[in-house]
Amino acid sequence: MALLQRGRCCGAAATTSLRRLVLGPQGRVCESHVCSQYRASSSLPDEKKEFLQNGPDLQDFVSGDFSDKSMWAEYKGNLKRQKGERLRLPPWLKTEIPIGKNYNKLKSTLRSLNLHTVCEEARCPNIGECWGGGEYATATATIMLMGDTCTRGCRFCSVKTAKNPPPLDLNEPYNTAKAIAEWGLDYVVLTSVDRDDILDGGAEHFAKTVSHLKERNSKILVECLTPDFRGDLKAVEKVALSGLDVYAHNVETVPELQRKVRDPRANFKQSLQVLKHAKKVQPDVISKTSIMLGLGETDEQVYSTMKLLREADVDCLTLGQYMQPTKRHLKVEEYVTPDKFKHWEKVGNELGFHYTASGPLVRSSYKAGEFFLKNLVEKRKTKVI
Amino acid sequence: MSSKLFGFKSTVSHRLPIHRLQVQHSSADRVTVHFINRDGERLTATAKEGESLLEVVFNQNLGIDGFGACEGTLACSTCHLIFEEDVFQKLDAITDEELDMLDLAYGLTDTSRLGCQVCVKKAMDGLTVQVPMEVADMRRELEVGKQSK
Repeated sequence: MALLQRGRCCGAAATTSLRRLVLGPQGRVCESHVCSQYRASSSLPDEKKEFLQNGPDLQDFVSGDFSDKSMWAEYKGNLKRQKGERLRLPPWLKTEIPIGKNYNKLKSTLRSLNLHTVCEEARCPNIGECWGGGEYATATATIMLMGDTCTRGCRFCSVKTAKNPPPLDLNEPYNTAKAIAEWGLDYVVLTSVDRDDILDGGAEHFAKTVSHLKERNSKILVECLTPDFRGDLKAVEKVALSGLDVYAHNVETVPELQRKVRDPRANFKQSLQVLKHAKKVQPDVISKTSIMLGLGETDEQVYSTMKLLREADVDCLTLGQYMQPTKRHLKVEEYVTPDKFKHWEKVGNELGFHYTASGPLVRSSYKAGEFFLKNLVEKRKTKVI
Repeated sequence: MSSKLFGFKSTVSHRLPIHRLQVQHSSADRVTVHFINRDGERLTATAKEGESLLEVVFNQNLGIDGFGACEGTLACSTCHLIFEEDVFQKLDAITDEELDMLDLAYGLTDTSRLGCQVCVKKAMDGLTVQVPMEVADMRRELEVGKQSK
């Protein structure tokens, strides 16, 4: 399914650029003139280039009725997987093509600063939304540290795996911090792969990046989505005390399905301990976790997991739909409806989480800056009263 | 991105599916292998001699999901398979790396091996392997849960 969307993205992007050239002010003229304009586009004056760049988008010409929300309730396709079946993608999981000024600006900045994002590596469908920034104009991007190859093979994740990935780049903390600080982002999420081949799991590397970043720009909000460091609490402490604002670690699924979904070196108790310990050594930090739905869990299991997380004083929770990345990975057992996700959001708020981001396309760092600031602003308002 | 992928794969293993061409071999080179899936369904495939069992599952698109998550790099235990005793004895010796990963597998038996490390040989024609469950049966767990209430 993800492959189909990718294909669409590439095709549409090509069409967009072509239309920009053809349908600019010169488009009104006869064909031969248009052709010569296309050839001569590299010598267009700057203001004309600017005009074309900001001119009509593909968006303006496409009706976009695949995201018509009124049709969702009428969707009659199968949502729960029967034996031997592979479920079809329901309409609420189809996304729009990422376009827009902000998105393009961010993309070109990333390339020039030599930064890697998990948004691009994992082909996240929300890339247009997050990079575009929202109501509070806080663009969020998730930077990937320690390479793109993991030492574990979880059944839901398509990140590359190897027994001995390439060694760490010792300049990465400094360079990444410099690049992010120059970039001028308001909220950044730093994440990494599992590195069981390194003694401290990469904790020092992580912590250095955060402290360098805070040194250069103390106003930026930093969230770290860390591995479990094989339960090494000293490593957790190192990262938690590096100066970050939000400590995130994903439990991924309910305790009953941990063995099936995650690598056997990971488990619920260990992950919960990571979150608890981060809070213990740094009480001001905000802790966050994420669960994927649609892997075969029951409602009772999800509810009891949420309760366990709240009891462990986890502040923020995100719930999203699991989507099978390749045929090597687990099949989707159920496509949870948007209404059901709204229900879980209500439950999360009732249980007392600072915020519960819940939706089919919600991911751990989905609009993380937006939610964080919105929440902070609202809390400040109530405090004043 | 794909060029990076190619570069990485060619240094790690010589047996990965992407490099294999689907060439027609004579029937003498084909070996029949049966997989008993987790739900009891019997899946049959014809493999080429020298292919690993993981490659057979992947290349023949057999309906076994969550199989071979690490793509055969001995970094997970999702290709865990259970063999019959007599076949098990005739397999190539297990390496320490395989043993390390196999130890983490759920439902480990005395005749367990990782599918990515077992290569098909002509003498294995008609081989039957069992794909083990990854967790205790969900339905059983739910029933137990109901009883305890």
